[in-house]
Amino acid sequence: MENEYYVCTGCGLLCDDIEVELEDGKVSKVNNACLKGVARLKECNRPAECRIDGAPASLEDAIIEAARILKEADSPVLFGMGNSTSQAQKNAIEVAKRTGAYFDDTSSFCQGPVVEAILENKIRTCTLDEVKDKADVIVYWGADPSNSHPRHLSKYTYFPRGKERQRGWEEDRTAICIDVRKSDTATICGDKFYQIPPQADEELLNALANGLSGKVPKVSFGMGPKKILELANMLKKAEFGVICVGLGLVYSLEEIEPLVRLMDKLNEVSNFHLIPMVGQYNMRGSNHNLHEETGYINRVKFTGNDVEHGAHCSVVELLRARTVDAALIIGSDPMSSLPGSIAKELLDISVITIDPCNTLTSRKAKVSIPAATAGSECGGTAVRMDGVEVEFKAMTETDRMCDAEILERIMGEL
Amino acid sequence: MGFGQFLKAPEYDIKIITYRDIFQSTALESSGCGDEYAERSAVILLDKGDMKKMVLKDGRKAVLKNNFGRVVVHLRPSDYDEGHEGIGYMTNSPWSNALVSSETGGSGVPKFKMITASISDAKDEKVTSFDE
Repeated sequence: MENEYYVCTGCGLLCDDIEVELEDGKVSKVNNACLKGVARLKECNRPAECRIDGAPASLEDAIIEAARILKEADSPVLFGMGNSTSQAQKNAIEVAKRTGAYFDDTSSFCQGPVVEAILENKIRTCTLDEVKDKADVIVYWGADPSNSHPRHLSKYTYFPRGKERQRGWEEDRTAICIDVRKSDTATICGDKFYQIPPQADEELLNALANGLSGKVPKVSFGMGPKKILELANMLKKAEFGVICVGLGLVYSLEEIEPLVRLMDKLNEVSNFHLIPMVGQYNMRGSNHNLHEETGYINRVKFTGNDVEHGAHCSVVELLRARTVDAALIIGSDPMSSLPGSIAKELLDISVITIDPCNTLTSRKAKVSIPAATAGSECGGTAVRMDGVEVEFKAMTETDRMCDAEILERIMGEL
Repeated sequence: MGFGQFLKAPEYDIKIITYRDIFQSTALESSGCGDEYAERSAVILLDKGDMKKMVLKDGRKAVLKNNFGRVVVHLRPSDYDEGHEGIGYMTNSPWSNALVSSETGGSGVPKFKMITASISDAKDEKVTSFDE
């Protein structure tokens, strides 16, 4: 009998070789997935409950109440999206357009600038399948996939045999790690680990660009020109190189330009690509869907036929400046993921959550609507961290509605 | 009850860098913000030399505070080969986020990975809970 494979929605890698066993209509065993993936695909330990003002409510009433809040709000925001199917994201954009709302996603304070540079063709990218088949030099910069995307190295980058890399990590591939601490990934990279001080990434980006231009590279910390040139030469000699950019690098840069400059320089002398280490399974899908609709990847406000865009439309600035009076939060837990001093502003506005699990945010929400878990309980499409669209089907049946359907119902009530 | 309880614990400045941990991420998926997640999140890993200098002991708890928040977390020595004087490591979680500055310079991106705080012995205080 042919095996049936499913897609894991545990992270932006969207592993498509997952086998499951079911018991009483529930996922009882998950094969091939990492620890995080298994935990995601099994049922929530604390499923979300349908509630209005903390009291149990029917789904119908919760949807009507959610629509009422959005309709009556002067300045609502829709936020989250990273753990939603592409269809749910498109429906959310429609809700935002109808209500004249702000719309932002989690990329606003993580990989947004990198994805934006890729979609605007400022940075050359490639697919993970190309990395698997061709890459000989893989750089993890400010990233620790051994913990954030546990199958990244084994499925696509360092360990697998690819079409042009049949001798894998033993002979055909070099993995390099640049980070502020010796992470588990840095340990795998062995003597190709380059430790830098916090916030020194821009300096090293510039020094590498200088080294690749034939200048003597200098930095203010304890990494001599010889060591920097050794790294620059490894990059220069790559037949097919890729830089996997983690939040460690993104957060240390004020602007994306130094990274763009290094990529440009690398592609003058070598053949280099960049892939953002996107965390949530469909954060990149949200960027793509909004970009298609508005030309922006995040941080917008819909006003009639106009779209306003800028940092002032980011969820962080909206909450900090108390610009919004209602929030529809889809598949995200900002009470947990935002700075506490900013997240507390959510306590003073009407919050609606759509989530499979009980979260810190759903517990404080005025309206909490339980959704099916995408990947295990509902199918759809998502965009992998490298921009490839992946279709996935449900593993089990559920009575709970998918987030796309809930948003469609809210739209119907508006 | 000893005389020590009336003395203010000495405070030291520290920079906190956050990181991801697969076991902590798994705990978030499987237990929400429950006990296992708290056990793996409410922890700061310190340089062994710093712990000695600050007279902070493995297994005790520490108060971390700055202008943006205050949390009590478990205290452990890190197992990195290289010393990291003045730097503590925490997994990304509500405990570390409680200390992240709300100032972004208008960029919309908080400094999640570079937190400045003070650290002191928590004496008998309980670890901060967000699971209420």
